[in-house]
Amino acid sequence: MSVPNPIKPETSTVTTCAYCGVGCGFRAETHQGRIVRMTPWKDGKANHGHSCIKGRFAYDYYDHPDRVRVPLIRDHIDEPWRETTWEHAFAETARRFRDLQARHGVRSIGGVSSSRCTNEEIFLTQKLVRAVMGNNNIDNCARICHSPTQFGLTSTVGWGAASQHFDSILQADVIMVVGANPTEGHPVFGSLMKRRLRQGAKLIVIDPRRTETVRSAHVEADLHLALRPGTNVLVLNSLAHVIIREGLYREEFIRARCEWEEFQGWAALVGTDRYAPEVAGPEAGLDPEDIRRAARLYAGGPNSAVYYGLGVTEHSQGSTGVMCLGNLGLATGMFGREGVGVNPLRGQGNVQGGSCLGSWPHVYSGYRFVTDDATRLSFEAEWGVGLDTEPGLRLPNMFDAAMAGSYKGMYIMGEDPVQSDPNQSHVIAALKAMDCVVLHDIFLNETAKYAHVFLPGSSSLEKDGTFTNAERRVSRVRKVVEPLAGLQDWEVTMRLMNAMGYPKTYGQPGEILDEIARLTPAYRGMSFDLVDRVGSVQWPCDENAPEGTEVLHRERFPRANGRGTFMLTEFVPTRERTTDRFPLLLTTGRILTQYNVGTQTRRTANSAWHPEDLLDIHPEDAALRGMKDGDLVTITSRFGQIRLRARLSDRVNGGVVYTTFHHAKSQANNVTSDLSDWATNCPEYKVTAVEVVRVAAAADRASVPAEETARAERVLEPGE
Amino acid sequence: MTEAPPDAPVMALDRLVAMANQIGDFFAPYPPERRAEGIRNHLRTYWEPRMRTALLELIASGTDLLSPHVVEGARLLKEPAAQQKGYYGPPKA
Repeated sequence: MSVPNPIKPETSTVTTCAYCGVGCGFRAETHQGRIVRMTPWKDGKANHGHSCIKGRFAYDYYDHPDRVRVPLIRDHIDEPWRETTWEHAFAETARRFRDLQARHGVRSIGGVSSSRCTNEEIFLTQKLVRAVMGNNNIDNCARICHSPTQFGLTSTVGWGAASQHFDSILQADVIMVVGANPTEGHPVFGSLMKRRLRQGAKLIVIDPRRTETVRSAHVEADLHLALRPGTNVLVLNSLAHVIIREGLYREEFIRARCEWEEFQGWAALVGTDRYAPEVAGPEAGLDPEDIRRAARLYAGGPNSAVYYGLGVTEHSQGSTGVMCLGNLGLATGMFGREGVGVNPLRGQGNVQGGSCLGSWPHVYSGYRFVTDDATRLSFEAEWGVGLDTEPGLRLPNMFDAAMAGSYKGMYIMGEDPVQSDPNQSHVIAALKAMDCVVLHDIFLNETAKYAHVFLPGSSSLEKDGTFTNAERRVSRVRKVVEPLAGLQDWEVTMRLMNAMGYPKTYGQPGEILDEIARLTPAYRGMSFDLVDRVGSVQWPCDENAPEGTEVLHRERFPRANGRGTFMLTEFVPTRERTTDRFPLLLTTGRILTQYNVGTQTRRTANSAWHPEDLLDIHPEDAALRGMKDGDLVTITSRFGQIRLRARLSDRVNGGVVYTTFHHAKSQANNVTSDLSDWATNCPEYKVTAVEVVRVAAAADRASVPAEETARAERVLEPGE
Repeated sequence: MTEAPPDAPVMALDRLVAMANQIGDFFAPYPPERRAEGIRNHLRTYWEPRMRTALLELIASGTDLLSPHVVEGARLLKEPAAQQKGYYGPPKA
């Protein structure tokens, strides 16, 4: 791995980091055909030359020895893999998929796309499912993270996307961070936020944990509402209660820009006594006065901006929580200019793109319903085939249907549902019930153990395309090195489409973006040429905004009547409750140096900083259980059990425990529940009732034994 | 390996019931007409057809597992007059 210093790169390619929703611009530099350095790009409009420890250093996963370089195939998941050619892999996959459809119906197969893939690849995957498989069984990983964002923001302000660009925060006077930890999850944006805080902006944090965002060098939150997990809607309604009852709303804005009658209905609901801080506060574990202070601070602005993350969405009332934020912004007039707004901090590099580009069972690209005849006709005309008029299965419903026996095969692009989806044993049983699981990924991840065909993918350093970051910014992804397995991911999906009998071909991914632009109003003006010329472009980009749009909702909201509206957000407690058997609430999250399920970052030197997932537990809860720092403990829920090392920490309140999910061996999703958001089925990762018990003797970890993993990953030698 | 016809249920009934009642809970604060329309539109736009069929069959069987709001909303699925463009959330947006 060592490269003599000083490094003298021969090539330098501007591209976009895939690690988080910030989407930093980088110069990827190569020496003798290998990437030797990632230098943050000064002209990157999302990062302005800054970077974090992942984007800057965690790139050498790309040519890690574990990368799979040839397609693999087998008939049964208990057989070893056989290496094969691309031609055979495509032909055999197509044959198996078509055979399943002949025997079990058109809707017996489907697919899921990844936010680690480009816009063009995501669009192509939904086209594969809709136009070639002939159904709408297509979903994407935002199902398990930000699907409530799309639902909640669309229903209040019209578009399920950040209202602002990142730099807008430099005009904010009050910053309210809800269920997010940008200094670890979105570090470059976190730094920008800290810069503004050091200039004097006020900070409100609503989060069960005392995160880095609450207190770090030179920055401290003015108010930290350390609420009990599962009480977001109660607390946000209580903030609204104060704004209504103390008359802090902006009637002029509401009358001019919103539906006044809907405001009145909402005000009546949140104005009831049950949302008074004195009632709601104790239920959420908060001092009522802190709720009042937070409401006054937020409503007072003059510019208040909300940034939120999965701590809002991953709840059984995730969509309702997002609506609460939309309602609050509308009621206080915090939309339509710099320094304000409601902004989701998206997890993966291209979750916004994944959401925009139609990888959903109910909407085409641009969030238009498959049940809408005019929209469907436009796609049928462009694609030359008839399309299914009914919504398809959502990802968790695909697994349900597999268990019921009616869903038999799927194409999984760059996802690891076994590790990332809730209720792991259910997911594994569902995958085992399928006859043809096709995994398209760069590594043999946990899901590969249950796959029949493995199509080796290309990392974002090996392909061309675009990403859309959390501020709606479309940036170029450029090929820095040749794809290790010979094909870029869009070529793989295209050739699978061709093998299944749909002849359309593309010479380069810019042609796919052109097709997206023809079919998607918010992307109408997008093209490789435009993005290459101006660097990056925020959607909506069309004839009215030829170089894109920084701030949404300046004059009207993108709804039929142009007005924002208020949703009735009654608090409905989750069914997941603590009991005598499971007296603690487990919540999950991530840390700075690792990324998501860790498929990439665990294969880099960044693991030195986070060798294993730990369980944070309050010292008093630990003492009650005879536990010391570093003890091995079991965490048991109604759904399963895992083992981790305990770390005594006052970052969590008593009654709450916390862990990360970066390591496969921890299997955190063995314990998470099967409850999900009412509107979108986004899983309730953030609340699971558990009990934690010290393990007396050093026992084997509750994980898949090493020899089982080795067997599952075994590839036959040539001639074997 | 389980074999099932293409119209086999998507999921176990208890999960379907739980999901339907969650939707009912959200729309509960709306006035009756909008509540029913909101539930109907949500089911029509987001639920795969077999899930809707299973729900309607359950209602036809005279179940007491579902909240009355869900029953009212789901009934509109069968009324041609309730056919309209799918959209988010409650009606009259």
